[in-house]
Amino acid sequence: MKAKLNKKLAKAGAAAAAAASLACAFPTLAFASEKEGIAVLIPDMNEFIPMLVAFVIILVILAKFGWPVIDNIVTKRENNIREALKKSEEAQIESERVLAEYQKQLADAKAQSAQIMAEARATGDAVKADITAKAQAEAADMIAKAKVAIEAEKKQAIADLQASVADTSVDVAARLIGEDLTEGEHRQIIERYVKEAGSFNAN
Amino acid sequence: MPTNRLVVKEEVAAYAAVMFDAANEAGGQDAVLEVRNQMEEIIHLMHSDMDLSGALSDTSYAPEQRNALAHAVFAECNPAFTEVMAVMAERGDADLLNRVFAAYGDELDTKLNLCVVDVTTVVALDDNLRHIIIEKAEAELGKKAVLRERIDPSILGGIIMSVNGKRIDASVISQLNNARHVLKETTDGGEC
Repeated sequence: MKAKLNKKLAKAGAAAAAAASLACAFPTLAFASEKEGIAVLIPDMNEFIPMLVAFVIILVILAKFGWPVIDNIVTKRENNIREALKKSEEAQIESERVLAEYQKQLADAKAQSAQIMAEARATGDAVKADITAKAQAEAADMIAKAKVAIEAEKKQAIADLQASVADTSVDVAARLIGEDLTEGEHRQIIERYVKEAGSFNAN
Repeated sequence: MPTNRLVVKEEVAAYAAVMFDAANEAGGQDAVLEVRNQMEEIIHLMHSDMDLSGALSDTSYAPEQRNALAHAVFAECNPAFTEVMAVMAERGDADLLNRVFAAYGDELDTKLNLCVVDVTTVVALDDNLRHIIIEKAEAELGKKAVLRERIDPSILGGIIMSVNGKRIDASVISQLNNARHVLKETTDGGEC
């Protein structure tokens, strides 16, 4: 097809060249006489007619051979441009769609990241609260145990002191009773105890 | 050596009855009480001297040897006790003396309507105290009471009375120990 087109173009070129050479065969005639005044504006028929003929020939040749080619080229170009425009529109639509999709994905990603951040923050807060609560509970437990231990040691110390005081008091009392009581006082005690004592049958 | 419990019980009762009757025939109530006191001391002695109790029950000795040993050891005691103890040793029943002592108390109770009250004090009892104690024991136990007195300074004061396993502890040392216990158990004193 391209070769055919080149051939047509070569033919049109050759015809145009022949017409041009024909038209150029009369310049000497055209510039042979000199005019003055308004006559300068009026074409010289000797020049005009060949040029018109050449023009018509060239016009016919071009209309016959050149125009379809040009028209074809223009049409093809037009189709190409239309197609390119269509493709570019499709590409634009596609790009807009992709852009929208990307934007949507980006928005989703942002939302997701925000959600993750929020969840992480919430988790962090929960962990922090949990750790704080545990630490407070452990501290409270340690304090309670320490209080219990202190209380136990205090009670033990009081009991020890009390036992020591009791032992000392009783030992002193025993020594005083053993050393200071006379036989008569002992007998009085025995008599009182016998009278106050419980029964054999109670044991 | 018999192992049947009923047989042993009868043997113990027989030893106690023979010992009681012999003492009672020989010297009446005083002899009976003397035998009882001696038997109690011998029991304490045998608890503290394992060689003696072991020798009296040792089957490696001939029965006659154990009999002779008992006669030699308890020669100073009341003959009723010595003879019965010698027979017990000869028969290998010396370790039944604790049960014989209890059965002897039952003999006292049933045959003489008598009970022995062991009284421990720091000072010797006078007649007034004896009368008071006997009166109390007879009123409570419903039988004639005989005191067996013992002096023990370690009780610090007061009196301890016991009869047939029943005991009244009204000693000063006991009351002091109670006071010591109460003082040690009281814990609210330290809270103020």
